[in-house]
Amino acid sequence: MDAARAFAPLALVFVAFVAVPLVALAWRAVESGELADNLTSRLVLDAMRLSAVTSTLALVLAVLFGTPVAYLLARRSFPGKVLVDLVVDLPIVLPPTVAGVALLVAFGRRGILGGRLDDLGVDVAFTTTAVVLAQLFVSAPYYIRTVKAGFEGVSPQYEGVAATLGASPLRIFRRVVLPLSWPSVLAGAILCWARALSELGATLVFAGNYPERTQTMPLAIIGVFDAGASVDVAIALAVILVGAAAILLLLLRLVARSAARPSF
Amino acid sequence: MLAVDFERRLGDPSAGSGQGFVLRPSFEAEEELVVLLGPSGSGKSLTLRAIAGLLRPDRGRIELPSGVVFDSQRGLDLPPQARNVGYVVQDLALFPHLTVAENVAFGLHGWPRQAQRERIAELIDLLGLQGLESRLPSAISGGQQQRVALGRALAARPRVLLLDEPFSAVDAPIRNALRREVSRLRRQLGLVAVFVTHDLQEAYALADRIAVFDEGAVLQCGPRDAVFRRPASVRVAQLLDARNVIEGRVVGRTEAFIEVETPWFRGRARPDTDPSAGSGQAPSAGSGHALAPGAPAALSIRPEHVILLRRDRPHANELDTTLDVELVDELATGNNHRLYLRVVGAPGLPAGDAGPSECLIEADVSAHPYQVMGVASRRDWRVALTLEETVAIPL
Repeated sequence: MDAARAFAPLALVFVAFVAVPLVALAWRAVESGELADNLTSRLVLDAMRLSAVTSTLALVLAVLFGTPVAYLLARRSFPGKVLVDLVVDLPIVLPPTVAGVALLVAFGRRGILGGRLDDLGVDVAFTTTAVVLAQLFVSAPYYIRTVKAGFEGVSPQYEGVAATLGASPLRIFRRVVLPLSWPSVLAGAILCWARALSELGATLVFAGNYPERTQTMPLAIIGVFDAGASVDVAIALAVILVGAAAILLLLLRLVARSAARPSF
Repeated sequence: MLAVDFERRLGDPSAGSGQGFVLRPSFEAEEELVVLLGPSGSGKSLTLRAIAGLLRPDRGRIELPSGVVFDSQRGLDLPPQARNVGYVVQDLALFPHLTVAENVAFGLHGWPRQAQRERIAELIDLLGLQGLESRLPSAISGGQQQRVALGRALAARPRVLLLDEPFSAVDAPIRNALRREVSRLRRQLGLVAVFVTHDLQEAYALADRIAVFDEGAVLQCGPRDAVFRRPASVRVAQLLDARNVIEGRVVGRTEAFIEVETPWFRGRARPDTDPSAGSGQAPSAGSGHALAPGAPAALSIRPEHVILLRRDRPHANELDTTLDVELVDELATGNNHRLYLRVVGAPGLPAGDAGPSECLIEADVSAHPYQVMGVASRRDWRVALTLEETVAIPL
């Protein structure tokens, strides 16, 4: 007999600890009878739209810049690679507020780069752009890590053979490397998007909490309390975020399963 | 014309000398199928990668029938895409997400659609893959996968076919069929092929020419029979599994033979002046001058060329070296019996006056003579090392 029976009570307590608040959230949302109204309130709709736009943009940028980074880290050795690897991963373990301060110091009006941008009449901090940059900063590492592992799983032998068959490097990437690492790319994108969607700390510091401009859903929850509005609005936002997270997690599981049992 | 002569340092150069590996193969071939033979880790596959353009030499030159593809002096380094070689790797690397037809068609990118279709059909036909066009590589047998890999490599009509131990993963019967198929295809398509293997039988079965690799260098390169019959060094003889390599000293030389004295017997080897045995990079590589009287030399004869005789029967050719031997062990290898024979006496040297240790001769006897002669029933035998098959190797 194993320890499963002895461990069951402890496990049960923990599952309940996680489940009860989620159930309470759903219960309260329904019980208030104002869920529909709250979901269509101005504040919630603005936050939803802003979250959708910024997290999608962050994802697009992560894919655009992160894919080459992941490929280089997976395939090439170059001086300072260890350092690059570290820098790319660092935001994962950094407190998001620290990321926000760092971004502010770099891109803020008196920041290293921000000063130059300000001279050009470009304002980054406390704009929607800042929201996207904050999300990109904290979420891209999840994409890069996952995709890099995927690229590493594709034998370089394929690329060598494809090259002797006359395929250009980009064609090799598109026709061989990408299809063979597709589950990782998909998983990386989902993780990245989920992280961008839930981003709070860095955004708060770097972009502030301004409705319509920088107030994404997680920030809107704070905004509700600050404005002294009904807590039911916060609950509505929370319900949406829980739903989105659950759907993304489910997608991730599906991708992982299809990767474990390849169709080819 | 295939000419390879380059150097490439591998591994960590900062680790100091002695660390890492220097690949410096050098060989030429006019013949159609060259086998790169050598133990694993001797640089055969890396040489193939360099020919394909996937490994960049530090310096040197690589010439293919289509022209020079790498020349460090001229700063020439054609990318793999421009070398027009068909490359089949050991694990085949069939694209697992593409069907058989798509794999074969991979190198036909840029061809007109109709021409692509015709070429695919032609190759499917040539390689006997009919009916498998829309299968994925994981859904066909190992032998079929080999054919797909061949078809994919051949699709764009390369002038050179590079094969890196392509049959190591399939069962023996299929392997033999595939070897014959490669030979047939190569002749039919008029290709130059470079075939990497560490399997002696495979090398012998396929090669027109053999380049013997060891520790990154080519020890000897020449026509198959010349290399097998006349290894340029003891190391080559060992790599070719010559088994009987007995060291001694040249004591005489005539038009007809070279006489070598070993601690156990005096033996005669044919005086090879055949220049086609090819060249090697080893300093001891075989010019006849190294075999002047007094020079250290080894006698070598392959086990399959040792003739087993009964002691009471005379042996016709008096130039052959005959030795009295005692059967000490044997090993049945299917069709053959490998006999381990201790030399106990030889004409010219009194029995029992042997050197520091014993001298074992290995001889292969096939099943039929083994039975007829009753090898198993007696210990005392005589062997003849025929002049024609005995070679003197400079030390």
